[in-house]
Amino acid sequence: MNRIFVLARKELRSAYNSPTAYAVTLFFLLFVSIWLFYVQRFLAMDSATLRPYFALFPVAFILVVPALTMRSWAEERKMGTAEILLTMPFSEWELVLGKFFASWTVLAVAIALTVFVPLTVAPLGDFDAGAIMGEYLGALLMGAAAVALGQFASSLSKNQVSAFLAGVVVLLVATLANLVASTLELPLALADFINYFSLSFHFESFAKGVVDSRDAAYFLLVAFLFLFLNARVILFRKWS
Amino acid sequence: MIEVSGLSKRYGSVQAVREVSFSVDTGQVVGLLGPNGAGKTTIMKILTCFHFPSAGDARIEGLSVSADPVAVKRLVGYLPENAPLYGDLIVDEYLTFAAEARGMDKANRAKRVAKVVGDCGLSGVRTKRIEQLSKGFRQRVGLAQAIVHDPSILILDEPTNGLDPNQILEIRELIRELGKSKTIILSTHILQEVEAVCSRVLILNEGRIAAQGTAAEIAASMKGEDAWDLVLRGRNADEIAAFLPSLRGMSSCSGIDVLSAGALSLRVAMRDEGGGSDGLDGGERIFEWAVANRLKILGMARKRISLEDIFVKLTEGEKK
Repeated sequence: MNRIFVLARKELRSAYNSPTAYAVTLFFLLFVSIWLFYVQRFLAMDSATLRPYFALFPVAFILVVPALTMRSWAEERKMGTAEILLTMPFSEWELVLGKFFASWTVLAVAIALTVFVPLTVAPLGDFDAGAIMGEYLGALLMGAAAVALGQFASSLSKNQVSAFLAGVVVLLVATLANLVASTLELPLALADFINYFSLSFHFESFAKGVVDSRDAAYFLLVAFLFLFLNARVILFRKWS
Repeated sequence: MIEVSGLSKRYGSVQAVREVSFSVDTGQVVGLLGPNGAGKTTIMKILTCFHFPSAGDARIEGLSVSADPVAVKRLVGYLPENAPLYGDLIVDEYLTFAAEARGMDKANRAKRVAKVVGDCGLSGVRTKRIEQLSKGFRQRVGLAQAIVHDPSILILDEPTNGLDPNQILEIRELIRELGKSKTIILSTHILQEVEAVCSRVLILNEGRIAAQGTAAEIAASMKGEDAWDLVLRGRNADEIAAFLPSLRGMSSCSGIDVLSAGALSLRVAMRDEGGGSDGLDGGERIFEWAVANRLKILGMARKRISLEDIFVKLTEGEKK
């Protein structure tokens, strides 16, 4: 546990010593705010719910999360630092979790900074604080799943650019799969099946402020699965 | 103590290391020598648990690299080839991370970091970002992170690569100093380096050990070959060359170079027959042969067999 923390701290130092983390955070904040106030015209909607705001998060994550995770393994491989990291006394799980918690923390900081929007609009209407908490919890959980996916994409890539693109494609598919089910006329069973794999489908209840333990479990399961695969990839490379 | 037995490693269709076995006792500094692609780096990657062996095993202080990698990694300090580093960290941050990751407690950590910063001559750059450092400093940061946790085993892949002559001497001095208490394996292209710091040499070629021992032992095992550089004058160069086969005990000749119409320089290798039938050594035989053929010896020098010669001979010999 201590070693996971040691690695996560080093990764965070690296992230905040370079401009990438700041740029991505800023991009995220501008994207969701501009979209809310200028494209969706939130104030003109005249309803005291932040559902449209949080509904944007899955879309923003498609670009933001791969930008945060693209470096994690691809850069280690390209610069040769993997040779340093993998010869330090970490187990594969410690490495994967250390990197995961670092990227997730950067994302969590960006998500936490959006709190200024609810704080600003709160006096304008009768917002439900509980719902907003649920929405934030959902954003963090979905963020965990997305970070695990992005980090896995990075572990398969040789450089940051392909890691970013692979992450975007994977998240795009995983996020928007439910659009297929809602636009096409599909048999119910097939639609349910496709929806099940969609991150944004599982975020719908959270966006309303409803905490459904099944959705929470889904995000945690996805995160666990891809971190597990990531650890396997790291181990597999030692044999090849 | 490092014990390697029957170690093989295959990358796809490339057999990088073939059934290599050797052992290194505590306090020895062993040099791995070999042409590019001989398997030096692969052996180091296996000893540091970066790659698993395809067959065979290596034990570090009795712990197997394939069965117990995390424990092995705790004992080993590793400087990879070209000293890869985290460019966006500050030197101090990086060394502290390296110490923490290898499980040093907080009290010792600051002391050790300060010590290796001093030992590796990094005092002036402690607060700089690694990507701003010159190649020489990077190499030293790489060495500093490898020794920060005071490992009993040190594995250095081309530690003096990219350094200027003064820095090379400093680093060699440091390695010699470290070698008094640690087991060190280092690889290098520079043959003097092996003679300067290593107590033992392993010469690798095409994934196999071509020779091992001290430089003197290897030279002795190749005895029976004595090289002489000659400059001869006769009536013409062709005639001298025609006489060569009649030189008794000659095993090969090379580097024939016509200096002028009647003068020739060449190198001959003589089998040392240990005062055989005629009781003459190689030099005497060359003399007798020259006199018998009415050749004048303008120059004659015995070549001491250097590590360089051994290296060239072993690695070329395998190719034929």
